Amino acid sequence: MTSILRVRALRKEFAVHERPPGVAAALRSMLHREYKKIVAVDGIALDIQPGERVGFLGPNGAGKTTALKIFSGLLHPTSGEVLVDGHEPRRREDAFLKKIMLVLGQKQQLLWDLPPSETFELNRAVYDVPRAQYEATMRELTALLGLEDLVKRPSRTLSLGERMKCELAAALVHRPRVLFLDEPTIGLDVSMQATVRDFVKRYNEQHGATLLLTSHYMEDVAQLCPRVIVIDRGAILYDGALGDLVTRIRPDRRIVLRFSRPVAESDLAALATVVRHSAGESVLQVPKEAVNAVVGRALANLPVSDLTVQSPPLEEVMSELFARNRPRAATGEAPP
Amino acid sequence: MSLRNTARALPTLLRVGLAEAVAYRAEMFVWVLATTMPLVMLALWTAVAREGGGGALGRYGQSGFTAYFLSAFIVRQLTGCWAFYEMNVDVRQGTLGMRLLRPVHPLAAYTVENIAAVPMRALVSLPAALVALAVLQPRGLTRDPALWALWTASLLGAWSITLFVNLAVGCSAFFIEQSLKLMDLWLVLYFVLSGYTIPIDLFSPRVQSLVDWLPFRYQLGFPVAIMTGALGRQEAAALLVRQWAWVAATAGVTAVLWRRGIARFGAHGG
Amino acid sequence: MRRPLARYGRLLLVQLRASVLLGMQYRADFLLDGVVEVFWVATAIVPLLVVFAARPSVAGWRFGEALMVMGWFTFLEGVLEGTISPSLISVVEHIRKGTLDFVLLKPADAQFLVSTARIQPWRALNVLTALVLFAWGFRALGRGPSAGAVALAAVTMLSAVVVLYSLWLLAVSAAFYVVRIDNLSHLFNAVFDAARWPIDVFHGAVRFTFTFVLPLALMTTVPSRALLGVLPLRSLVGSLAGAALTFALSRVVWKASIGRYTSAGG
Repeated sequence: MTSILRVRALRKEFAVHERPPGVAAALRSMLHREYKKIVAVDGIALDIQPGERVGFLGPNGAGKTTALKIFSGLLHPTSGEVLVDGHEPRRREDAFLKKIMLVLGQKQQLLWDLPPSETFELNRAVYDVPRAQYEATMRELTALLGLEDLVKRPSRTLSLGERMKCELAAALVHRPRVLFLDEPTIGLDVSMQATVRDFVKRYNEQHGATLLLTSHYMEDVAQLCPRVIVIDRGAILYDGALGDLVTRIRPDRRIVLRFSRPVAESDLAALATVVRHSAGESVLQVPKEAVNAVVGRALANLPVSDLTVQSPPLEEVMSELFARNRPRAATGEAPP
Repeated sequence: MSLRNTARALPTLLRVGLAEAVAYRAEMFVWVLATTMPLVMLALWTAVAREGGGGALGRYGQSGFTAYFLSAFIVRQLTGCWAFYEMNVDVRQGTLGMRLLRPVHPLAAYTVENIAAVPMRALVSLPAALVALAVLQPRGLTRDPALWALWTASLLGAWSITLFVNLAVGCSAFFIEQSLKLMDLWLVLYFVLSGYTIPIDLFSPRVQSLVDWLPFRYQLGFPVAIMTGALGRQEAAALLVRQWAWVAATAGVTAVLWRRGIARFGAHGG
Repeated sequence: MRRPLARYGRLLLVQLRASVLLGMQYRADFLLDGVVEVFWVATAIVPLLVVFAARPSVAGWRFGEALMVMGWFTFLEGVLEGTISPSLISVVEHIRKGTLDFVLLKPADAQFLVSTARIQPWRALNVLTALVLFAWGFRALGRGPSAGAVALAAVTMLSAVVVLYSLWLLAVSAAFYVVRIDNLSHLFNAVFDAARWPIDVFHGAVRFTFTFVLPLALMTTVPSRALLGVLPLRSLVGSLAGAALTFALSRVVWKASIGRYTSAGG
């Protein structure tokens, strides 16, 4: 099977104008400007198969959004190769643009003072969608997202969540085969995040669309993406299944215990490392191989009323991964 | 960005653009009020004409000035364009990226949005001007159908030059930080040399022959001159050729700036 | 407790410094603005030259006298574009982006903060240009101004600035009710452009409007008469009363608008 997104040795540099604070420096900068080269994407390579759901993870400034913009043709790579379903994005051919969509959670395409239905209609015309297909798509989107009451109100009067739903619908009018989502759930409340997630997943499953998503909310990624690509400082740190990543970085497990009567911390410390110990519950950190033994000892020796075994939270896994990357990456960067 | 695709999307683009213009009718009204400069100039020039026993200035008496500046007002309303402003915002805030994602050429989209706003703008401004023309009945509006045909072509030319200048200035936002100032500079020259504040034939012959070679009068003064019967058929036809040469020139500059600008945009960020 | 006046003085200095830094960020601006300004003045002078080439006087104004009006217009435009409109336009931006809350959270008068938020230093060029126009005008008239006339002109100009500021504040207050008013400055400038000409040029309803509703007469014609030493007493009284009235009105409307904004919860 040929990959729908193929990236080789992709590199993107920006020249950024910098100046120190102060009036004198401002005057100097009028005559002479200092530019600093920033490497946003530093030689990444990846392949994504049609229909995959892939999560792009990384701290702020890791190069996630830059990469998405390169994949959708908005930014031109400094060097390297990008092919989206056989198209070179930077050429922005019609055929390419009709296959993809980029949704930016912080930028909107809805016409601000008109109802979303006008934006849908506009996109129908712009993407040259046949009338029958358009109507079928709109029926489906309306039902899935619950848009009935929204599409006739001016976009500016919609709440953030309602606007995001319409934004997604507008992005899908032409049924893109590749969907790039940059922080689609930013600023949304928990239930709206879940709605957006479910919807995106369903779209992927029903239409076989490929999904590449960045998000600050680990939950989004954990729920949606069987595969994650972690990038930091423009380089890929990990590419593979989410579960494997967790096991690799943090092979330990957490045992959460509740007791029927108070237990001394020293009793717990005898079993394993204590992460947290409070009246309500205690958390132990245990190497993966030792889980069975520790659980058995705890059940035998302590007044356990409830016991669960968990993986460490994704956030912690990530921060540990990035922390490990720091010393290596720091030497690879141009001096400021 | 095939032309075919854009053409097929055209009716919807126009309709949505019109809907937007209707939604922004308050701004539209403000815009019309903001372009009433010809009416202020009308007050000034009729005061001048009244002075000294109402003798004519050049070919303009009080009635002549009225016809001239009302015509200037109408032409300005029909050819006005704000695309440079929108482009500037789009480039600066990165919303141009949204336009680039669509399979319609962004310049075509700006153009269509401008055309779509014309009916609304005409609706707000023209009735008043037409009523004024009917009530004041200034002598001097031409009655020659051939000239009116030339006028239509010249209006289209004036609109095209204005549009391309707007788009070119918009493209300059790719290269310089405050492209709005460039438009200011253009407008300054336009105010003086297009016939917007002074009928061009009140300048000395030397200045007039210079103005013939510059683009500004083809944006406004030329259609106004045809309307007010200041030009004969042959004269008007000859100037029409020059006007369309300027249309071609400004279109060429816009195309080059766009191509280079978009390459830069792709390198620097969207 | 420190003295409030000193505190506001320091605040003003801090805001000024920030404005200068901001202005210097844009070097293309810096040059272009100067050039554009010179050109704008020229656009006003060209019709003047053409008019007075054909007539010795228009509506009772000779060339040199009309230059006074043009000079005050240029001066006032510098004040408007350099201090008043950049600051007040930033209020409109604040409202649109919802960041006005940050301003309202600060422990200082909101009107003061927004009114001094942004200054464009190179607009001082306008003052220079105005002085050149005055000199040219008096040369054409073959005399100079008296000391009393200069003092009177300064007073009437001060009220003109107050009127201009108050009208702007009123317009900006409208932004609380109608959020999209980006064209506001264009509109204002377009109407304000009429102040290049002596009020006597206009007739009927237009003249009434420019005298009482949008008192352009107060802004340029009155100070010009003062500088020429031909200001009637009632014009002086009208100028001062007009300034006091519009300032009080704008302050009340601004307070009401802010009240509405905060009670509506942004």
